[in-house]
Amino acid sequence: MDNNIITITDLSKSFDGTLVLKDINLNIRKGSVTTIIGPSGSGKSTLLRCINQLEEVSSGGVFFQDTNITESNVNLSKIRSKIAMVFQSFNLFNNLSVLENCTIGPIKVLNLSKEQSNERAQQFLEKVGMLPFINRKVTTLSGGQKQRVAIARALCMDPEVILFDEPTSSLDPEMVQEVLDVMRNVISEDISFIVVTHEMDFAFDVSDRVIFMDNGEIVEDGEPSYIFHNSKNQRLNKFINRV
Amino acid sequence: MFTQMILSSIPDDFIGGITHIFENNYELYLEGIKYTLIISLLGTSLGLLLSLLITIFRIQEIEKRDSLFTRFLKRLSIFVSSSYVEFFRGTPMMVQAAIFYYGLATLGFRIPILIAGILIVTLNTAAYLTEVLRSGINGIDKGQIEGAKSIGLPKSKMYRYIIFPQVLKNMFPAIGNELVVNIKDTAVLSVIGVSELFYMGKSVAGTYYRYTESFVLVALIYLILVLMTTRLLTLFVRLLNGNDKYSFPSSQSVPVEVNHG
Repeated sequence: MDNNIITITDLSKSFDGTLVLKDINLNIRKGSVTTIIGPSGSGKSTLLRCINQLEEVSSGGVFFQDTNITESNVNLSKIRSKIAMVFQSFNLFNNLSVLENCTIGPIKVLNLSKEQSNERAQQFLEKVGMLPFINRKVTTLSGGQKQRVAIARALCMDPEVILFDEPTSSLDPEMVQEVLDVMRNVISEDISFIVVTHEMDFAFDVSDRVIFMDNGEIVEDGEPSYIFHNSKNQRLNKFINRV
Repeated sequence: MFTQMILSSIPDDFIGGITHIFENNYELYLEGIKYTLIISLLGTSLGLLLSLLITIFRIQEIEKRDSLFTRFLKRLSIFVSSSYVEFFRGTPMMVQAAIFYYGLATLGFRIPILIAGILIVTLNTAAYLTEVLRSGINGIDKGQIEGAKSIGLPKSKMYRYIIFPQVLKNMFPAIGNELVVNIKDTAVLSVIGVSELFYMGKSVAGTYYRYTESFVLVALIYLILVLMTTRLLTLFVRLLNGNDKYSFPSSQSVPVEVNHG
């Protein structure tokens, strides 16, 4: 397990008796970029949300490094501070400014000093192009701006993994590109990225690995060139031709 | 002899009666106003603090990963906190005051009447505001909670820094409304002898045998207090929020209206 940051074993998840994830097994390599594609309702977001336990699993294990985080004696807050997440609906804190959204985690969770946290936040806000908006209330920002702040907030946690849950799906078309550009810009070897997305060009360009899910199962799994050009899988090809 | 002197000195007509009563007893009324304001202000503030605490017990959620002991504790805290709310909302404050004050006296605890009054208003306000806070928390976008969880904020810090600040801001009109209600409802504390405004009005009325005049005067004073309070609260909210529109109804039966611009 040395090189794997996330290991998922025999994971199943059902909502009110409906099985939405069926016996998933998956390893995520440290420092890799993995995108998960698939039709709506295929279980990709649910799988992503199991990785930081925003969804409880029905059975199976989710390992962060060597820790099974589905067990009740795990300090979930500590694990989550290392697995940041960027949401479709941004989920920025409405009562805080842009800067405070980025510093609350470092100050209250990582116990950094205010000065250190501010410095770090400014560094990442600059990286996502939001430094001029540092004192704005987040409710006054556009969707694209909000998502860029959300990416900075995730980076400020200095995480091992960042989960992206359809980060561009609720944006106006002209804002999609600015967020995708920021995402390309922040990809680094130090962090593992797991991205659920419908942006196929983006998935092809940035991924080390693409996973195709359908109906609660991992149907195909491989390098982007294989998934987008060489796979013979009918469900996958049907899906790719449709989008 | 003395009583007759008092009775003969007061004019017979209504306006004259009120003026005479006020001129000769304004110190008593001021004293009453003082207690009414102290009790309602302190009771509302302390009640708000207590309601934050009770709300924490009330909103516990049982999760799959909880141990049996944790589940038991959570169920217990939900049961105790909701029983508290049900009891204080389900019985009249006047009855609570009587039970509390005379009950404690029977048990040998003599607490000052003013303290008893403040305590009763506090306990009552806490019950009402717990419900207000709970519905406020339910009304907060679930994304705020998920956002907090996703950066590893423990629950206590999530409520302290993210949820409660938003809820309190949204609920400010309801909290102000509770203050207004408390200014009027302290009147029931006269049952245990707290010398608030209504109690003073009653004793003045008894002195002159002029009940209508005395209580009309008391009503006018309550009205002025309430109108001043609602205007101060509205001004306060304007200062906080710029142009957001809030209104403060002065009765509990009128729904609270909140318009965010």
